[in-house]
Amino acid sequence: MAERCFHCGEAIAPGSALTALQDGTPRAVCCIGCRAAVEWIEGLGLADYYRLRSEPAARAEAAADFSAWDRPALDRLYVRREGDQAEACVLVGGLRCAACSWLIERALGALPGVAEVSVNPAARRLRLRWEAAVTPLSRLLSALARLGYTAHPLEAGAIDSMAQREQRTALKRLVIAGLGMMQAMMYAVALYAGAFEGMDPLTRDFFRWLGFLVTTPVVLYSAQPFFAGARRELAARRLGMDVPVAFAIALVYVASLAEALRGGGQVYFDSAAMFTFFLLGGRYLEMRARHRAADVVDALARLQPALAQRRTATGAEETVGVHELVPGDVVHVADGATVPADGELLDERCSVDESMLSGESAARARRRGDTLLAGSVLVQGPALLRVTRVGSDTVLSSMLRLIARAGAERPRVAREGERLAAGFVAAVLALTLITAGAWLWFDPARAFPAALAVLVVACPCAFALAVPTALTRALAVLARQGVLVVRADALERLCRVRRVLFDKTGTLTENRLELLSVVCAAGVTREQALALGAALERGSRHPLACALRTAAEGMTLPPAQDLEAIAGQGVRGTLGAESLRLGRASFALGPGAADDGSVVLAGAHGEIARFQLRERVRGEAATTLQALAAQGIALEILSGDAAERVEAVARRLGVATWHARQTPQDKLARLDVLRRGSEGVAMVGDGVNDAPVLAGADVGIALAGAAELSQAHADLVLGGDRLDGLLQARAVALATRRVMRQNLAWAMAYNLGAVPLAALGLVPPWLAAIGMSLSSLGVLLNSLRIAAPDSRPQATPVVAGAVQEVTA
Amino acid sequence: MNIILALIPLSLVLLGLGIWAFFWAVNHAQFDDLDTPGLAPLVEDRALPPGAASPAAAESPPPAE
Repeated sequence: MAERCFHCGEAIAPGSALTALQDGTPRAVCCIGCRAAVEWIEGLGLADYYRLRSEPAARAEAAADFSAWDRPALDRLYVRREGDQAEACVLVGGLRCAACSWLIERALGALPGVAEVSVNPAARRLRLRWEAAVTPLSRLLSALARLGYTAHPLEAGAIDSMAQREQRTALKRLVIAGLGMMQAMMYAVALYAGAFEGMDPLTRDFFRWLGFLVTTPVVLYSAQPFFAGARRELAARRLGMDVPVAFAIALVYVASLAEALRGGGQVYFDSAAMFTFFLLGGRYLEMRARHRAADVVDALARLQPALAQRRTATGAEETVGVHELVPGDVVHVADGATVPADGELLDERCSVDESMLSGESAARARRRGDTLLAGSVLVQGPALLRVTRVGSDTVLSSMLRLIARAGAERPRVAREGERLAAGFVAAVLALTLITAGAWLWFDPARAFPAALAVLVVACPCAFALAVPTALTRALAVLARQGVLVVRADALERLCRVRRVLFDKTGTLTENRLELLSVVCAAGVTREQALALGAALERGSRHPLACALRTAAEGMTLPPAQDLEAIAGQGVRGTLGAESLRLGRASFALGPGAADDGSVVLAGAHGEIARFQLRERVRGEAATTLQALAAQGIALEILSGDAAERVEAVARRLGVATWHARQTPQDKLARLDVLRRGSEGVAMVGDGVNDAPVLAGADVGIALAGAAELSQAHADLVLGGDRLDGLLQARAVALATRRVMRQNLAWAMAYNLGAVPLAALGLVPPWLAAIGMSLSSLGVLLNSLRIAAPDSRPQATPVVAGAVQEVTA
Repeated sequence: MNIILALIPLSLVLLGLGIWAFFWAVNHAQFDDLDTPGLAPLVEDRALPPGAASPAAAESPPPAE
């Protein structure tokens, strides 16, 4: 087992001797950035962070220059000023546990001029208020970077968090309703006892008016959302859930008030309060789930860099905001950086990773005059480019528009439970009117109490709770298994899925290569060949280089000199006196050599070895796919990658249907074709190129390591990058649907039994209240039965259709 | 029985106080982050080493007094 970095927990490359002094002991770290973070945290006296945290930190990058953030053009967009005070909202990358927010609050709060630091760990946001005259924004950002977090300032509009205000108001309403309900019930118990034991009218009226007093805030304040919703629904001329609910609350409240004034019959203030509380509780749980979905972050902020290096007429470089770029500007992009705008390459050659945009797994070589796309990552650079398209004209932005359209076209499944409940409430209101009318005919004196009893007995609490409680329980169970449900109604749709589409790169495979075989020339051992190859690829972060280094782990590498990487071709260097080349056959052996897709290592005397590499399939992919197939679900691979690579993976996993070279538009078209067969289609993907399909599919499923943009448009996010979360989600979804149906059946049966009795005037008010509570409790207990399937399926080695090649 | 005429208004006053305290807490961000403050008691308060509070102070010599 390789040693792990003290700060970020990543494996440390063998031979690295970097250490940081922490708490008097040297700790091994993986890179300069992590060392700086450890020492900086130690210097601040915040070393407790390492004891408190529950997750390792993100790998720290060596500190960058943030001074460009003080430019007026950026300041206007990202900072809001009030007098001397400035305010900004920053999206923090690498925020993983509560200790992170503790660390940030303490470290930034200690800077001079900082008035307020508040971290919202769920939304990964940091709100800063400071005196701009004392400390510039750049210093706050660089302090954040030194702690090992990445900072993406958000536009000033993000400072006022709508979600936070909504959440606070909802919490207040819920608590008022809860307290009001408890008080009202207490007084109601006294009244019921009085009905049995006898109570003089004066005391009875006293308790009735007390009930009125505590229920009034509940109806006027807590139930506000229902009345507002009902007004909206009536204005739009459609009957949703809010109209009958608001009508029922108002009716029970006004009728009870009339009874209290009249001094006769019964009051039901406790029912009005309880009704409001239960419904608000369901709404609150749903709102929490919705906000978590919205928190899955401004994807664009991460994908597109905010800064660019512009080259001025004099040849000097200045750092500017991306929104300041205009077509014609010349921009310098560093090695490993993200391309800020679409442009034309001015340098001889470079290679870029467009996998997030196109799904193509291999890095693409680009020559002078080729187009580089905003959002792609420069693997081998640096590069100069002339900007051709900016802002909303870039290919990346057109992708965003595609996503928006696909999302809007997604068939919205009306929620079974909500529809049923709305219909039921409307029926109850009709029944109440009929009861009142019938009694008016026979015995006008009993019309009012009987109608009120029908309304209370049939209070749709059980109905209103049937769906939210089951969903909330399912979400909690799945969250514990590492599956984040972004949109709760996706669980219902997941039950109906008959076909699952998979992306290949990064979804079925890891974004890494593995060594399949080594063919050596005569007189060379496998170990020698690997050591030579790894030595040549020492400094590179190309996937091929990583695969060779992994295979050669633990070997002593010979020292290679004069390493030079040629984009899209390979790498050359010298070892002792011999000059070596590693790369495509045509590069290593000279033009005209047959290219069989393998990587060739050659010296002055010809070929030394051939390495065959293949993509690494996720360990649990085969078992997950087998289990899905066993449940009668059709599987299909849609990939942007080349046909032979897709075919190889499909064969290894035993998937019969696959499509290669698919653009996002092609994938959407395929989705439309499948949709016409009216079967539920789920899509599992990770790249930005999958985002439109994720948004358009019945259920979009993203991996936790996926592009933020994809996560933001997915319904489910599988944590820990494990595909088998999909099986658990499906099992829980099926269990949830079963429980929901039982709940609805139970609520229906209870009401069908009780309502006729109430209509006939046979149900005394205390019995009506008890019945209502018991029916709600039954629903709640039933929902708690939803549990995770026993255990994760055991991961077995990939055998399905695996191609076993014999090492020569 | 007359005691309830005193006790019930008293309970209502306490209820009002409780609600006021709760509203104050919500408005002062007491319910926004439920995880981080739980860590505070686990930390020993250590005096910050002088000058470590700001990166500039750590990098440049202290101003003359």
